Amino acid sequence: MTGFRRIQPQVYPFDARVDVPMKLLTLGNGASVFLIETGTEEIMRIEFVFRAGMVQEYLPLLANSTNMMMTEGSENYTAEELNNILDYYGIFLNMITEKDTAGLIVYFLNKHFEKVLELLVEILFRPEFPENELDILMNKRLNWFRINREKVQNIAGDRFFESVFGSHHPYGRQVQESDFGGMIPSLLKDFHAKFYKPEKMTMIVSGQIPGSASDSFERFFGGLGSKEIYTEDSKNRIIGAHVKKVHIEKKGAIQTAIRIGSASINKRHPDYPGLKFLNLLLGGYFGSRLMKNIREEKGFTYGIHSSVSSFDLSGSIMISTEVGKKNAGQAVDEIYREIKLLHSIPVGRDELEVVRNYMAGEMVRMFDGPFAIAESFKAVWEFGLNFNYFIGMMDTIRTITPDEILKLARDYYNIDDFYEITAG
Amino acid sequence: MINFCRFRLDNGLRVIVNEDSSTPLVAMNILYDAGSKDEDPSLTGMAHLFEHLMYCGTASIPEYDLPLQLAGGENNAFTNNDITNYYLTLPSENAETAFWLESDRMLEPGFTQKKLDVQKSVVTEEFKQRYMNQPYGDAMLLLRPLAYSTHPYRWPTIGMDISHIENVTLDNVRDFFSSYYIPDNAILAIAGNIAPGKAFDLAARWFGSIPQGIRKERKLPAEPRQTLEKKLSVERYVPSNALYKTWHMGSRLSNEYHTFDLLTDLLAGGESGRLHNRLVRERNLFSEINAYITSDIDPGLVIISGKLMKGIDIFKADEAVNEVINELKDSVLSSHELEKVKNRFESSNVLSNTSILNKAMNLSIYELLGDPGLMNREVENFRAVSGEMVRETAIRFLTTENCTTLYYLASGK
Repeated sequence: MTGFRRIQPQVYPFDARVDVPMKLLTLGNGASVFLIETGTEEIMRIEFVFRAGMVQEYLPLLANSTNMMMTEGSENYTAEELNNILDYYGIFLNMITEKDTAGLIVYFLNKHFEKVLELLVEILFRPEFPENELDILMNKRLNWFRINREKVQNIAGDRFFESVFGSHHPYGRQVQESDFGGMIPSLLKDFHAKFYKPEKMTMIVSGQIPGSASDSFERFFGGLGSKEIYTEDSKNRIIGAHVKKVHIEKKGAIQTAIRIGSASINKRHPDYPGLKFLNLLLGGYFGSRLMKNIREEKGFTYGIHSSVSSFDLSGSIMISTEVGKKNAGQAVDEIYREIKLLHSIPVGRDELEVVRNYMAGEMVRMFDGPFAIAESFKAVWEFGLNFNYFIGMMDTIRTITPDEILKLARDYYNIDDFYEITAG
Repeated sequence: MINFCRFRLDNGLRVIVNEDSSTPLVAMNILYDAGSKDEDPSLTGMAHLFEHLMYCGTASIPEYDLPLQLAGGENNAFTNNDITNYYLTLPSENAETAFWLESDRMLEPGFTQKKLDVQKSVVTEEFKQRYMNQPYGDAMLLLRPLAYSTHPYRWPTIGMDISHIENVTLDNVRDFFSSYYIPDNAILAIAGNIAPGKAFDLAARWFGSIPQGIRKERKLPAEPRQTLEKKLSVERYVPSNALYKTWHMGSRLSNEYHTFDLLTDLLAGGESGRLHNRLVRERNLFSEINAYITSDIDPGLVIISGKLMKGIDIFKADEAVNEVINELKDSVLSSHELEKVKNRFESSNVLSNTSILNKAMNLSIYELLGDPGLMNREVENFRAVSGEMVRETAIRFLTTENCTTLYYLASGK
C-alpha cells in the first residue's frame, strides 16, 4: 500500500537567478551607491561599508571600538538622545567590524527614510567619542571578554587564527585584557578621520526604494568631504607559527574544542569556487562526510563543520567541532582519515549529484529577496568582483568532475600544512 | 497583511497556505502539538530526543536528508516547552519532495536501537555543549524548577537530567510517536511560490491516507499561585556574578499578554531600554541586562537576566533592578516612550514578514492558538496597550510574593 512512498517525486532542474539587475550611482563626492530594487514590504536595508576593518588598526580593538563608539554621541546628539531617536523610529542598526571592512547595516520602514539619512550623517561622520561613554563601553566589553575566554570554542578559535596568520598580524592577533585600557578618544578620532571618509564610502541599498532616493542620497551625503590625511602602509606581514599542534588545557571543561586547518586562497583565485564545493562535501552541510561520520555514526558531537573563509590578503580553511573529552583523540584521527579519503578516492556519482543540487539550492537561497541579494553582492564586491563570480560558481557546481575534486583536495587540504589546535 | 487560505483534511490535519510569488522558494513548516510539557516527569528531554529521531529515516525513505538535498532543499527543527516544529525550504519546482518527506515520517518512522543509541549520545553532547560547558549555561536549568513547583514547565526542554535521556527505551519512543505524531495533532503551513490549490492537492495526496490516530489527552497540573518570594544562590566558576529574576504571568491568550510583551520591550528593547539606560549606562552595575517573556502557551514567565560588572555586589544590583520595576508601578509612561516601543514592534513585525520561513512558522503557531488571522492583528493588539495598562499589570504581577530570584555567584577560585 505504501509502495508509492518509496519513490521520490520527480526532481526538476532549477536555476538560481544570480544576475540581478542593479543600478550604480556615483555621488558628487565620489561615493558609490548600489541600488537593488525589489521586495514585497515597505522596508529598506542600507549597508554602509568603509575600508576600516581590523587590518587597518595599529592597536588591537581600535577598529572595533571606533565602530561601536559611533552611536555614542555626535555633534548634535548625546548617546542617550541618539539611541532614543533610533528606537523611536524603529530603526534597527547593526554595527559591523570585520577583518577588512567595517561600517553598519540599517533596517527601517520606508516612511522614515529621510530621518534615517539625517541620523546616519551624524553617526557616520560627526561622532564625538566622548570619554565617559568610551570608559563604559570598554568596561562592559572587558566583562564580555572575560566571559568569552571561559569558552573552549573561543580559546581554540582565537589560537587557531593566531597560529595561521601570526600573533602580530591583525588577522591573527589575540586581544589581551590590558588592551581595553589602551583605548582613548584621540586614538579613535584619528582612526575615524583616516578610514571613515565620506568620499570613500560605499552604500548597498536594497528593498522597495522610493523614486526620490537618489536625490536624497546626493543631498545628505554627496556634499561631504574630508581632509587628506597621510596613512602609512601597514608593515604587517602574515607569518604562520612554526608549532603546528597545540593543546590548551582548560580546567573543568567537559568538552574539547577542536580547530584544524590552514591559510588558503581567497575569492579572487580561480580555484575558489571548486574549493567551496569540496568544503561543502567534506563538512559544509548536514549530510556532509564529517557530520555523517562523527555525529550520525559515532555520536561524538552535536555538530562538526568545515568552512572556507576569504579575506583581502589571504583566506583560510578550518574544521571545527566540540566533542566529549574522552573522544577528542579519535575525533581528530577521523577528521584526518576523511581528508585522506578525499586525496585518494574519487567522489562517487550519487554523492556528487547531491552536493551539486544542495549547493545550487543554497545559491537560490542566497538570492531570495532584496536583503539576501545585498549580502551576496557585498561578499563579492569587497574583493573587486561582481555577480559574474556567482555565474562562475553555478558553472562549477554543475560541471566539476571527481578528478578536479581529487586535485583540489591534494592541493588545498594538505595535512602537513595543517594547524591542529585543541582546548579542553 | 499576510493573506492565507486554510483547509482541513478528513484525518484532522490542518493546512494553511500563504502564496508569495516574489520568491523562487517554498517554505514548509510542520508543527506538532507536543512539547516537553507533555513528557513523563521521569523521562524529561523525550520530546527533544524524539525530534532527533525523526531524522533517522523510514522503511520507505532510508535517509531523510539525502532526497531533500537532492531537491536543493535544507531543513531544521526545534523543540520547546509547547511544541515540536520542523521546517524546510526548497526551490518551488521541487515542492512535492517536501510533502513526500514529511508525510512519510508522519506515517511511520523507522526507529532502531542503534539509531536511538547514537542520538542519545548526540543529545548528551548537545547538553554538554549548550548547558554544561558554557559559563552561566545551567542558569535556566536552575531557574525553572525554582519558579515552577507543579506545572511541567518546571523542567527545561533538554531535560531535567542527562540520566533521563539515557533511560529512554524504544518502547518509550514508539509510545510518544503514537500519542502525538498524528495528523489530528499537527499543523502544516506552506509559504512561498505555490498556488493554494496546488498545495492543498499535494497535502491531500501525501497526507490524506495517514490514519487519524488518537491523541493522548493532555492533563497538565496547573501551577498554583505563588504566594512567597523564592531565592536561590549558587556558586560557579565564572568571571562575574549574574542575576536572574522571574515573575509568573498569564497564558499566551490572556488579556495581559501584549502588555507584558510591551513592558519587557520598554525595559530592554534596544539600546534605549530602561534597564540598559539606568543600570548599564548610568550606574555601571551591569555589563548586559535583558528582559523578555517566555511566550509560552500556558501561563509563562517574565524574565530579567543580567551579568554584573566585576566586583559589583549582587544585593546592590538586585535592589537597583527592583527600583526600575517599582518605577513602572509608581508613574504612568509618557506617550513618547510608549510610542517608541510600539514603533519598534511594528518595524520588527514588518521585517519578520520578509521571510517566507517566518511566515510559515507564524501561521502555524497562530493556527495552534486558534486563528492564523491573529498574525495580522499583532501590531494592532500591541498598539492597544496603554500606559495605565502597563502600570496596572506591573502592580498586579511584578510583586515580591510572585518573584523568584537566582543569584549566580562567581566563586573565588
